[in-house]
Amino acid sequence: MKKLIIYIVLLSSFLVYSCQEEVFIDLESQPDIPVIEAIWTDAPGLNQVSISYSKDYYNLEENQVESEADVFIQDEETGQVFPFRFVPQIGAYLPVNNQKAQVDREYSLNVLLNGRHYYSKGKVLPPPTLDSIAVNFREERLFRDEGYYLTLYGDIPFDRDNNYRIRIVRNDTLLNRRNDYLLFDDTFGTQILNRGFELTGYAFKENDRIRLELFRLNREAYDYLNELVGLLFNDGGLFSPPPQNPTTNIIELNEEGEVLGYFKSSSVLSSIITIGGSEE
Amino acid sequence: MKIYIEFRNKKTHLLFGLISLIFTFVSPISYAQDRAVIEGVVYDVESGDPLPGANVYWAGRPQGGVVSDEYGRFQLQKITLPAELVVSFIGYQEIRRQIQDNDKSIKIYLRPEEFALSEVVVSERRPDENVRSLEMGKSVVPISTIKNIPALFGEVDILRSLQMLPGIQTAGEGTTGLFVRGGSADQNLVQLDGAPIYNPSHFFGFFSVFNPDAIDNVSLYKGNIPAQYGGRLSSLVDVSLKEGNTNRIKGEGGIGTISSRFTIDGPINDKLTFVASGRRTYADIFLGLSNDPNIRNNSLYFYDLSGKITYRPSDKDKITISSYFGNDFLGLSEQFGFGWTNWVNSAVWNRTLGENLFLDVNAYHSSYNYAVSFEDEDSGFAWDNLFSESGLRGELVYTPKENLQFNTGLHTQYYHFAPLNFQPDEGSSLEGIGTTARNAIQYNLFISSQLEINPRLSAEVGLRKSIYQQIGRGIEYEYENDNPQTEEITGIISYDNFQTMQVYSGWEPRAALRYLVNESSSVKASYNRNYQYLQVASNSSAGLPIDRWVPADRYMSPISADQYSVGYFKNLRNNRWEFSVEAYYKDFQNIIDLKQGANVLFTDNVETEILAGRGWAYGAEFLIRKNVGSTTGWIGYTYSRTFRQIEGISMGQPFNPRFDRPHDLNLVLNQQFNPKWSASLTFVYTTGQAVTFPIGIYEVDNQRLPLYSELRNEDRFPDYHRMDVSFNYKAPDKGRKWRGSWNFSVYNVYGRKNPFSYQFAEILNETINFQPSLDNPVTTRRPGVVKTYLFTFLPSLTYNFEF
Repeated sequence: MKKLIIYIVLLSSFLVYSCQEEVFIDLESQPDIPVIEAIWTDAPGLNQVSISYSKDYYNLEENQVESEADVFIQDEETGQVFPFRFVPQIGAYLPVNNQKAQVDREYSLNVLLNGRHYYSKGKVLPPPTLDSIAVNFREERLFRDEGYYLTLYGDIPFDRDNNYRIRIVRNDTLLNRRNDYLLFDDTFGTQILNRGFELTGYAFKENDRIRLELFRLNREAYDYLNELVGLLFNDGGLFSPPPQNPTTNIIELNEEGEVLGYFKSSSVLSSIITIGGSEE
Repeated sequence: MKIYIEFRNKKTHLLFGLISLIFTFVSPISYAQDRAVIEGVVYDVESGDPLPGANVYWAGRPQGGVVSDEYGRFQLQKITLPAELVVSFIGYQEIRRQIQDNDKSIKIYLRPEEFALSEVVVSERRPDENVRSLEMGKSVVPISTIKNIPALFGEVDILRSLQMLPGIQTAGEGTTGLFVRGGSADQNLVQLDGAPIYNPSHFFGFFSVFNPDAIDNVSLYKGNIPAQYGGRLSSLVDVSLKEGNTNRIKGEGGIGTISSRFTIDGPINDKLTFVASGRRTYADIFLGLSNDPNIRNNSLYFYDLSGKITYRPSDKDKITISSYFGNDFLGLSEQFGFGWTNWVNSAVWNRTLGENLFLDVNAYHSSYNYAVSFEDEDSGFAWDNLFSESGLRGELVYTPKENLQFNTGLHTQYYHFAPLNFQPDEGSSLEGIGTTARNAIQYNLFISSQLEINPRLSAEVGLRKSIYQQIGRGIEYEYENDNPQTEEITGIISYDNFQTMQVYSGWEPRAALRYLVNESSSVKASYNRNYQYLQVASNSSAGLPIDRWVPADRYMSPISADQYSVGYFKNLRNNRWEFSVEAYYKDFQNIIDLKQGANVLFTDNVETEILAGRGWAYGAEFLIRKNVGSTTGWIGYTYSRTFRQIEGISMGQPFNPRFDRPHDLNLVLNQQFNPKWSASLTFVYTTGQAVTFPIGIYEVDNQRLPLYSELRNEDRFPDYHRMDVSFNYKAPDKGRKWRGSWNFSVYNVYGRKNPFSYQFAEILNETINFQPSLDNPVTTRRPGVVKTYLFTFLPSLTYNFEF
């Protein structure tokens, strides 16, 4: 529904759009700020921490990747430490021995870099139930193309902390346009999976191989992604709010210096479907 | 300084209301005395319309004269009779009439001067009104002037015309929102015949709801708002529908580029007149002619209808009933629909109770609703919301002597914000949403006095007491530590119908002084405090039809503003030229903004999404205006600054809202070449909008995001400037009933590409708005800046007629 509001806002703008052209604006610049993106789930293949730096807006060089940080995740209950090691091939830190989170446990992210201690905390909440995924062919309609659409069936048995993200990988390509973000909470109830939740934003073709990932997020990480999507849709016009960086859930323990990015601790349900085939 | 008195005790509240009521209607009567005056009405002989602003005085004593009011009425102290009464008005032939001792109520008919080249401007203002009156920060723009100003798409627009006045800022290109002396758009009380209009715009804010043919008068108060009015911090835009003429059935209208309009008015009988007016766009009619069903099945239109009946049962009574209905609709493929509606009804009774005592009673109801619907077998829904205000207002005007006037009255308002209604279609995976209703009653008691202390010094002192009461049926959430920001609900309190939930009140003093330096110049000063008990919860600069109004409650205090202003007013060359400079300082309290990523539309806990703080604004406004002659117009220049300081935004540091535009220059020029041809030119120059540009870029979640400073609006758009021109051709009057005229106007005549927005986005494949697909994969990407601009060299043609 938030997207609908965004569409109404965009519609307001598009209705009066006359012309567009690319321009150059002389922009201020700020010294490099570390960007930490940490994913810690109960699915071992997804866990990683990447550290990079912001750069000048027009800078076309590759992002500066930080490889010298000391990175670990700690179980807040048991004190168990999960160290991460930088892997140059992917430019990110991976957990040693392919460790993973356990559901219902709270973890802290720790990044020691240039004498600063970046810290965040999050709980891996139990996932909802995903019973089955149906594939239906739909004719072209308003706001949707012709194609095959997925409908999820299951149950959300929780009365709080209902913050979800669905991520789609099609034929080994992550769908990551701004329209591809699917974030939902319990604003419109928790019966969404019981009634069958059709993913109207993704039209597939025959033989598409789809990996679907359903994350249950902490509120801070969910808000971060929501604000990120808002920023992607922000056209800088009268109908958009003033642009702001998404609110990070990472802090520097000594309150020295800024940090960007977020820590996502989450359970994840994943499923692979081949259109015209069967669910895996 | 904040003055809130919370009346927890309902009996105290009722007692206060009762005392107020008695005070309102009894107190002034005690002053009533039988004065020796002569009274009358001035009319235009051709139209039969009352003529406001005419000078009435005894021959040889122009300094003791009066000016006819908006109904053409005047009262003048008697002198030794018989004596010669002089009635004059610019553009009309002067009349001198011998008055006998037994003449009590007289009618004067003025005839337009036959060879007057310039269009006669009917105004209740006397020529030196700006110097002599106590009014500060008040602008009256005659409809005839507004109609001459070049218009976007040829659509004459009242609110956009007001933006040409000093101290009024715009949100951006083309929009009709008013930002007055540092106030946001929801701080303007836009009222039609005394009834508020909550969304005064069509087409997402690009056109105002007022059909110019149906409008009689527009007054803007931005400085010293009289004690009779209140409820908004920054301005009062007082619009009145015109009344039907008493002479004969007349019609006027126009066929324009995007809409057509028609108005008819006239007498029904000796005591009853009517006016009916309508306007509609016709873009959807052209869409329907398309061969492409995707285009043909779309709808896009707005229309408005208005009407007014005026009944004069006696010389002492006038009753008007007016109604306005406006609707916008956007439909796509008969599946998606989005529309909004204003419906405003007002009844006004003006009665002359005595020779110097007048009563005005106004009852009104104004409602606004929007609806969004989507027909889809899987995810269809219907979503709508409605809010309304009903009010009753009574005012007594008492003028015991020529240089003393009292105004007093009571205004009661009832606000109803209906629950948001979101209903998914059967079979949808979504669940319905229903927020709870919010209701409130507001009582306003006011009294003011205008007193001429001596021939040079006049004063106006007013006091308004507003008492706001949030009432049930409704619910109130309790939060951990009584702090909504925790978002931890610890309890819910339910309230029955009309049960008091929260009470706020405030004293709103108003004061103004005028010192007449000489016959042509004066110095004025004023102080104003206003309270506003409801505001829009939004963090965008332009209003949207789905904006949510939130009334004050346990967690959201009313907003208030104190305004101090001083001014120097000077008229030159026998009042042909007006010059004024006004300086102001304004202090706002409890201004709200939204938390980042706030959701205010679908939540019942809107208080958890809101941040509150303070604001201030100051500025100096210069105006040079020429009102008569073949060349008329004005130049206005304003230097102003606006600041907000809200904890949680911009690191708690002061920041400029988007509409802070320090330099603002407006030129309006009308030239009447001859009876057939006239031309108008406007030029606008303003500092660019205050905005936030990126200071870098970074990658997260596979996205390249612009990096922004924690400080808001530290950057500026380029300066905005634009020139519009229009030419009017009026067919010579050959004595026929039908008279036509043509208006050709060009908006943005030199095609300046003023930015509407800058979007900081990735440029894919060196193409703006490139949409990648399997067949068109992304091959290059880089950060870029895309400027959107609107309306470069936009000509339009309108045919106007009257009969």
